[in-house]
Amino acid sequence: MLELDSITKRFGEAAPALDALSLRLARGEFLSLLGPSGCGKSTTLAIIAGFLDPDAGRIRVDGRDVGELPPRRRGLGLVFQDYALFTSLSVRANLAFGLEAQGVPRAERRRRLEELARRLDLGGLLGRSARSLNMSEMQRVAVGRALITRPALLLLDEPMSNLDAHLRQRLRTELKQIQAELGQTVLYVTHDQAEAMSMSDRIAVMRGGRLQQVGTPEEIYHRPVNRFVAEFIGDPPINLVPCTVRPGTGGAAVSSPLSPASSFQPGLSPMQGEHLLALRAHDIRAVRAPGGAAGVPAKVRFVENLGAQHVLHVELAGSLVRVVTTPGLAAEGDTLHLTADLAQAHLIEAATGEVVRASGRRELAA
Amino acid sequence: MTAALSVSGLVKRFGSVEALGGVSFTAGEGEFFTIVGPTNAGKSTLLKTIAGLHAPDAGKVAIDGRDITDLEPRRRGVSLLFQNAALFPNLTGFENIAFPLRAAGTGTAEIERRVGEVAGKLGVGHLLGRHPRTYSGGEQQRVAIGRALARRVPVVMLDEPLTNLDARTRIALRIEFKALHRELGQTILYVTHDQVEAMSLSDRILVLSGGRVEQIGTADEVYRRPATRFVAEFIGSPPMNILEVELEDTAEGQVVRAPGLTLRVPGPLPPGGKRGRIGLGVRPEEVAVAPEPGDATPIAGEVFWVEHLGDRSILDSRLGGQTVKVAVPPRHPVSGVGRAFFGLAPRPEHLLDLSSGRFFR
Amino acid sequence: MPDLAAARRRPALTLLKRTAVLVAMAISFFPIFWLFSTSFKPVDEWASWPPVWVSRHPTLQNYRIVFFPEAARTFAEAQKGSLDYKVSGSAWRAFGDSALIATASTALSVLFGTLAAWSIARYRTGGASLPLQFLSVRMFPPIAVVVPIVAMFSVLRLSDTYLGMILAYTAFTLPFSVWMIRSFIEDVPAELEGAAMVHGLGRFRAFLHATMPLIWGGLLATALFIFILNWSEFLFALVLTSGKVITVTLQVANYVSASSGKLYGVQAAMGAISTLPVVLMGYLIQRHLVRGLTFGAVKR
Repeated sequence: MLELDSITKRFGEAAPALDALSLRLARGEFLSLLGPSGCGKSTTLAIIAGFLDPDAGRIRVDGRDVGELPPRRRGLGLVFQDYALFTSLSVRANLAFGLEAQGVPRAERRRRLEELARRLDLGGLLGRSARSLNMSEMQRVAVGRALITRPALLLLDEPMSNLDAHLRQRLRTELKQIQAELGQTVLYVTHDQAEAMSMSDRIAVMRGGRLQQVGTPEEIYHRPVNRFVAEFIGDPPINLVPCTVRPGTGGAAVSSPLSPASSFQPGLSPMQGEHLLALRAHDIRAVRAPGGAAGVPAKVRFVENLGAQHVLHVELAGSLVRVVTTPGLAAEGDTLHLTADLAQAHLIEAATGEVVRASGRRELAA
Repeated sequence: MTAALSVSGLVKRFGSVEALGGVSFTAGEGEFFTIVGPTNAGKSTLLKTIAGLHAPDAGKVAIDGRDITDLEPRRRGVSLLFQNAALFPNLTGFENIAFPLRAAGTGTAEIERRVGEVAGKLGVGHLLGRHPRTYSGGEQQRVAIGRALARRVPVVMLDEPLTNLDARTRIALRIEFKALHRELGQTILYVTHDQVEAMSLSDRILVLSGGRVEQIGTADEVYRRPATRFVAEFIGSPPMNILEVELEDTAEGQVVRAPGLTLRVPGPLPPGGKRGRIGLGVRPEEVAVAPEPGDATPIAGEVFWVEHLGDRSILDSRLGGQTVKVAVPPRHPVSGVGRAFFGLAPRPEHLLDLSSGRFFR
Repeated sequence: MPDLAAARRRPALTLLKRTAVLVAMAISFFPIFWLFSTSFKPVDEWASWPPVWVSRHPTLQNYRIVFFPEAARTFAEAQKGSLDYKVSGSAWRAFGDSALIATASTALSVLFGTLAAWSIARYRTGGASLPLQFLSVRMFPPIAVVVPIVAMFSVLRLSDTYLGMILAYTAFTLPFSVWMIRSFIEDVPAELEGAAMVHGLGRFRAFLHATMPLIWGGLLATALFIFILNWSEFLFALVLTSGKVITVTLQVANYVSASSGKLYGVQAAMGAISTLPVVLMGYLIQRHLVRGLTFGAVKR
């Protein structure tokens, strides 16, 4: 129901902040705009909301071009960073604000207020001052304030970025539940990949004003299209290991420090030049068996204890490779034998950063 | 140069608010000791009190047995890195890092050498001639760390140094910290609100909430044997599930019951364990789940929402009449909404007294 | 982030806004224009009706009267009256006395103001009420405290002395400097002083090295503001002096004679010249001024 068609925005002579960005959002969908600072996600939000005019391109909401409309007529709800509640007003006044501003009659205002308060479990808070709320309550009021005008689209601009990790997790769940229950279409801007992965139906990864990839969390995680997406998504970050690629008939032979025995990959036709093998930390098996075990030996430099699992930083060919293991497998200084699950690996061209795709098939065969 | 830091009974009030309600702990020589807790737990107040920027209302601070409670900040032998870097904007990067050395009256040649050494370790040599306003967030933090380390002090304190950085930079700097600590061997007191960071970096962790110590222990201890409900729900992501169950004695031993499930608890129970309504703590990765009933997964339940996090999926499930989060590895047979079968193995050390919030010990 | 370039243009509104600004500017600048214009007018144009906007016979006589006593006497003879004895003195002394008093009291006010503001801002000295108490001193109309102050000065033998004037001016402007400098200090995060203390400086040196360099602009802006207050002060200059000490404002007021009435042209000349030191000071520190004036305004 939201369509961005080739949006371009320039600030001064420098490279464009947004470069021919096109994106579609379906009704009821939760889409995250994810990217590092400066990638253009907040600019995109500002353009959709109507605070900025694009230099080129069209914005359509439910088929209607809204480019000429001021923000208040675009059918949007907006939740800001830090929620930005009106601290001098009560919760009731905060919620009703948009409706009062639009001149909605009192009876209708009261009706919607009660319905929303029920939905968001704000009943007991209506009389309280906005200043006296805790974070969870503030989020619900901020969302309620944005939703009371029944917007077609709800925009959120990194609302949780200033909260501590624990609180963020709880609020994430609550927000997602509200959205799912109401069937509200949401566009969520964030730089935190875990947040995007956890809440979104689809994620649009941005960098330097351009979309890198749009897809479900699963697609983005398991089938990244380029190096940037592969590195940006996932904690611990994906391992990138240099490898050599020799084209042959019907495919190529790939060998790397993780898989020294050159393995033939049918269907791939990589270009000449340097390549990287990208492999997730949980797709590398590590065993301690000394002697006689298959696998590449590597020494453990650091152990990150994450409770449910350990992330071992092991030294391989001069750099550190991350391996996820069950707790207690190894300590610093131990030597492990690594076996890579090549079926899950991606081959990346070092020069372009593109993931090499097999014609038809994508995965490397082990 | 390194030393043990010991804090006993530290109390600090601001007006009627008690920011620290009697905090005690000891960080051993060369230890990486982390204080973790939610916002307003009192973490920054604790560091500033140890540094001497706040005067405690009660309690003592000692380094290597020497009482420093009444000393001026500069005489305590501690260094503090502030949450927002607090670099001097009117000085260059070089001057910022050199600041503690100049204040101590170090000679110019030695200052040059030391600043160069520290800058090299942190990879900020190219920033030394510029002013902090031209730095990125990550660069500011590195220079601030350089300033904190310039003078060799026994105890280095870092107040949420990675919090203001974006997620990517945070993850990258985490390991650098570990490496730095390895090299320098100083006692480090590290504050963060991110429990993953705390677990990943520390030798020992102190969980702080509302100005009080919830638990002190290694990452393993705090994870496997949380002392209180707060620790169980704060450490680990997603947090530990706390199921409400009835604990009963039967002919076969102790049993916990909830709608739709009856489970044996291997004995003996720790002392202080009462019967009746209690909490059962279960970590998300300890719940077995399968599409069909089996020996390990006898309990019927329903998955109503799935979070795909990439390296694992979180299944929000309903069983025993309650919501339970279950963590499964990628490409697990159960990865969508619908009926499923679960298995739990209760542990005696995860039985919780609901009224006191403490686990049976 | 509103895009002003895309603001809907409405010419009528812009014209109205522009006109309003012009009117406001005209009202503000008119006295200054009149001052300079009058300073060049010959006697007959000083108070003529209809008013002479720009003199048709501009002269430097008023300025000569201000600076040279012989010119004053010549003028008096030409007017066939005698001049009040105060006026036959030259204005040089007035400029000198004003410069001394205004500069010294500005410096003292900023100095003490900074120390007090630091103590209040960082250490909450005096609790929440002290800053307001400071400011409340200036909420009394000065005329209300004239009598007690004159009496006090008389007892302390400070009347008609440089020391007395400097003390008085410092005291009167202290609330302003405390109030203004406090907001500048509060804009600098306290963490910077904390960092300086942790890294080896004592409390005061931490303030000097960490915070002071960042509030220079604010201090200069405050100094200029207070200098203007001191330089243009009239009431207490009048009641606390009796001839030995004379300020520019008093000198202007003294250009009156029994026979000729107020010597508007001479007063205007004196007034015009006395704007120069302030303008000069503002020019010298203008780089810091804009930053200083708006520094405290935006709270992030």
